[in-house]
Amino acid sequence: MNLYLPIAEMSVNVLVLFSMGAGVGFLSGMFGVGGGFLMTPLLIFYQIPPAVAVATEANQIVASSFSGALAHFRRGSLDIKLGLVLLTGGIVGSALGVAIFSSLRSAGQLDLIISILYVVFLGTIGTLMLIESLNAIRKSRKQTEPVPQRKSHHTWISHLPFKMRFRRSQLYISVIPVLVLGVLVGILASIMGVGGGFIMVPAMIYLLRVPTNVVIGTSLFQIMFVTIFTTIAQSATNQTVDVVLAFILMVGGVIGAQFGAQMGQKLKGEQLRALLGLIVLAVCLRLGWDLVTTPEELFSLGLGAGH
Amino acid sequence: MRRILLTVWCFMIAATGSARAEDLQIGLANDVVSITSNFSGSDVVVFGSIEKGDPRLLLTHSYEIVVSLIGPRRPATVRRKQRTLGIWVNGASQDFKNVPSSYSLASTSQLSGIAPTQRLLSRQIGIRNLNLQVGDTNRNPQETDEFRRSLERLKRQKGLYRERYDGVKFLSPSLFRARLRVPANVPIGQHTARAFLFHDGELLASQSVDLDVRKDGFEQLTYDLAHQNGLLYGIIAVLIAIATGWIASVVFRKD
Repeated sequence: MNLYLPIAEMSVNVLVLFSMGAGVGFLSGMFGVGGGFLMTPLLIFYQIPPAVAVATEANQIVASSFSGALAHFRRGSLDIKLGLVLLTGGIVGSALGVAIFSSLRSAGQLDLIISILYVVFLGTIGTLMLIESLNAIRKSRKQTEPVPQRKSHHTWISHLPFKMRFRRSQLYISVIPVLVLGVLVGILASIMGVGGGFIMVPAMIYLLRVPTNVVIGTSLFQIMFVTIFTTIAQSATNQTVDVVLAFILMVGGVIGAQFGAQMGQKLKGEQLRALLGLIVLAVCLRLGWDLVTTPEELFSLGLGAGH
Repeated sequence: MRRILLTVWCFMIAATGSARAEDLQIGLANDVVSITSNFSGSDVVVFGSIEKGDPRLLLTHSYEIVVSLIGPRRPATVRRKQRTLGIWVNGASQDFKNVPSSYSLASTSQLSGIAPTQRLLSRQIGIRNLNLQVGDTNRNPQETDEFRRSLERLKRQKGLYRERYDGVKFLSPSLFRARLRVPANVPIGQHTARAFLFHDGELLASQSVDLDVRKDGFEQLTYDLAHQNGLLYGIIAVLIAIATGWIASVVFRKD
């Protein structure tokens, strides 16, 4: 069943794309991750131009993060004030990212930078995840020592100025690291087409020391607004958001996520994380391989200067 | 019977006594190619007739026909990858000013047998003979030509450039039909179909008609909105996403 994508300007198989959306949705439901960091490389492997893949993926994440954030909002596990400060940074970062995206595109280096960023991030996250989960599996086998409590010792972050109180998170911290984190994630959203949850969640827990019960909801809240802003900014400057593509992925994604979430409850957390770590590393290796092996075609065709 | 006919025809032509000047008339089966949601490329059919042709040449199909379909010209950049610090990075690049975004050619036989290269070059007939103006460069001609050949190869790989030497068929001594393939990724805009009549390496006549390639219905709406009002397009894209997310949360709500 072929369908012509109006912005990507190519004919694609709807069932393949739907399956990709459902598959990644399944994984993201199972592991509780956004899935953008898997979806974008998959789209690129499917010959969707990287510029379109990245911008369209931001649009898809709006849908998945909206339903997620809504659930957390109903449960009250969301720090809106913290989310808003993160978001302020996120919008600045996203605008910066879209500008970087445009200039890399006209310099002909966009595809390369997207690949390198993916290899670096997926490699790091995948390795950390695998090590951490293997350790956890080993520990749970021994079944003796309980996991040591995280000490709330003071870090360099507690010495920074411009402190602000976040009641819901019971935090009194400087806004600087919060804004910086927001900017960083915003840049990633627009260049890599990811929500950035895989960076934001650990950073909020370990650097900002946000209580774990509000971390996911707050991060989804920020991701939703940053990807909304990114979608609009990419549409206005680069015209690379393909709504038809995004819609197929969204529908596949939300359906897959439901089944993934059910499956995720049956499996053990550390096994899940080990599995996800392996998947992430596999995608990383595939992208890395393409960077280092001699390509069959050394030449590539781009839009002329002035475009 | 055939012989008699031929003799009669020759006699009739000779009787008119006028100096021959062949002419060419062409027409498109459809003068619009519309891209809709199930578009996966199509064939453009060009009909043509040789007028005032020499009957002997017509009956023996000695005239050669070339029909080309040229897409809108746009600037393009060809980049060459090089290994830097172990990874393959886009390095040297070459700009071309007016590259036909697509080029499809159909002919009665191999171009080399139809006319000398110089003549093909002057009329830009054949992929190799297109006039692609090279942008500012201080490269030597061989290297520039390597970029140009790469452009041709890449366009061929994408199906945007193609040549078919058996793409023109005669339906009668003077009536012919050319089939030109338009791929799914055909650029939208004004395309020009051009037909050339050759004999003995000489160009006798040429004729061109325009073909409009455009997106239709939903595809056109989407494309136009994205390119003319990106902001509104982005807002709509976001609203669709929010609606999808909301419907999902209603449908799959667990409580």
